[in-house]
Amino acid sequence: MLGAAIVTITGNGEAFIENYKGILEYNTESIVLQGKNCKICFEGKQLSIDYYTNEDMKISGRIDAVRYV
Amino acid sequence: MLHWIQYIRGYVTIRVWGYSTERLLNLCGNHDILVWDIADHGDYTTMNISVKGFFALKPLLKKTGTRASILKKYGLPFFVSKMSRRKIFVLGLIGCMTFWILTSGYIWNIKIEGNYVLTEDVLMDYLEEQGVHVSMKKNRLNIEELEEHLREDYDVITWTSVQLEGTTLIISIKENEMPEYDQGGQQKNEKGMDLIATRAGTVSYIITRSGVPQVALGDQVEKGDVLISGAVPVYNEDTTVRKYQFVQSDADIILRYHESVSVKRDILYEEKQYTGRQKQTPLLGLRDKEWNFMLGRIPYDAYDVSEEKKQVQLLDHLYLPLFYGNRTVQEYEIIKKKHTEEEMKQIMQEEWSKIKSTLEEKGVQITEKNVTIKKNEKNWVLNARMQLEESAVKLVSTRTEPIEETTIEETSDQEPTAE
Repeated sequence: MLGAAIVTITGNGEAFIENYKGILEYNTESIVLQGKNCKICFEGKQLSIDYYTNEDMKISGRIDAVRYV
Repeated sequence: MLHWIQYIRGYVTIRVWGYSTERLLNLCGNHDILVWDIADHGDYTTMNISVKGFFALKPLLKKTGTRASILKKYGLPFFVSKMSRRKIFVLGLIGCMTFWILTSGYIWNIKIEGNYVLTEDVLMDYLEEQGVHVSMKKNRLNIEELEEHLREDYDVITWTSVQLEGTTLIISIKENEMPEYDQGGQQKNEKGMDLIATRAGTVSYIITRSGVPQVALGDQVEKGDVLISGAVPVYNEDTTVRKYQFVQSDADIILRYHESVSVKRDILYEEKQYTGRQKQTPLLGLRDKEWNFMLGRIPYDAYDVSEEKKQVQLLDHLYLPLFYGNRTVQEYEIIKKKHTEEEMKQIMQEEWSKIKSTLEEKGVQITEKNVTIKKNEKNWVLNARMQLEESAVKLVSTRTEPIEETTIEETSDQEPTAE
């Protein structure tokens, strides 16, 4: 689907996200991203952003849940 | 790889706080400013950003109402600017490296292994002749050539291995354990060999294995007399010599002779006694030069100087031509002393043992002796009259000329002087 966000999760420690519009919220327990049609919410502990560019980003930490709002 | 690029370009860790950090991140993304290692600390967020990105951050900070401060700077641009403020340090560093690179191109130590017969001094002198010495350039050394020269110039050396380890030249050699006996070669000598006396004496024992004996038991001989001739005459029917067959003389001959030895030793003697006063000064050396940090003159009349030197060693095999150590000047006094009678007896005994052992070393046997000690007021004199026996012979090329005509008789100078 054109423009839809791609989320690749490795185990529960790493998430690799492409095709997002922007970041809405960031703290150690949750990271909320704006996708094309919905928001993607990562919840967990000690979350940090390894890198952040216009195209892709990488989240690491202990991911407990991924919710599409 | 990425880390290296980041390091070369330089980056900073910044602390960001204010209204909306998320918006700043989005704007960074939109402006193609790479940020990484973003961590939330509650009140503030830390992140890494390239130097270029940090300068582009200013308008974005204003727009989002956040503030940023640098926590730490990483990378080459910062390192260079830091170093440019420490010129002496950088110069020292460069100097040190140049020094290392330059000095490691030279040989600073020579080790010789596996030598038993050839002493280290002999080999070192030989190496010096060959132009191999400490503090020579490594690339001027031809290892193959040196190995070959060593084998060629010393017959004893059967195997050589020259290698460079760091700045140390290691020369391993193997010596022939059984040296070649020259006699084999001499036997082929067509001229023949005579045995001559190396000193005057009486023949006390003679057994000939080859050659013609020119002396008999009990004969008196002089130094240089032919004892066994290497020219064996072949006679004509009329008892004239037709020709000579030349052989290498071989015989056991012992000459007996008399010798007197006299040793004089004074009762009075001088002894060095250290007063305990001494001066120690540091010493520095570079190659063959030496500097001594002694202030003023040596305040003693009589003194001994001893030096202790160490070569500066950087690594196991890396030696520098620098020496350091101490020079010690010890004062002494000369004290005149008198030997007691017991001591004199001891000394005379030792002198006699010395005479005996030197004779034994030469292979001389004492068959008779008469040792007297004369006690004078100032000195004692040891007189020894000895009858000695020694195999005092030497092989030389025969002086007898081969004859072409059968009528020539044996030359008379070959005859030993019999008394």
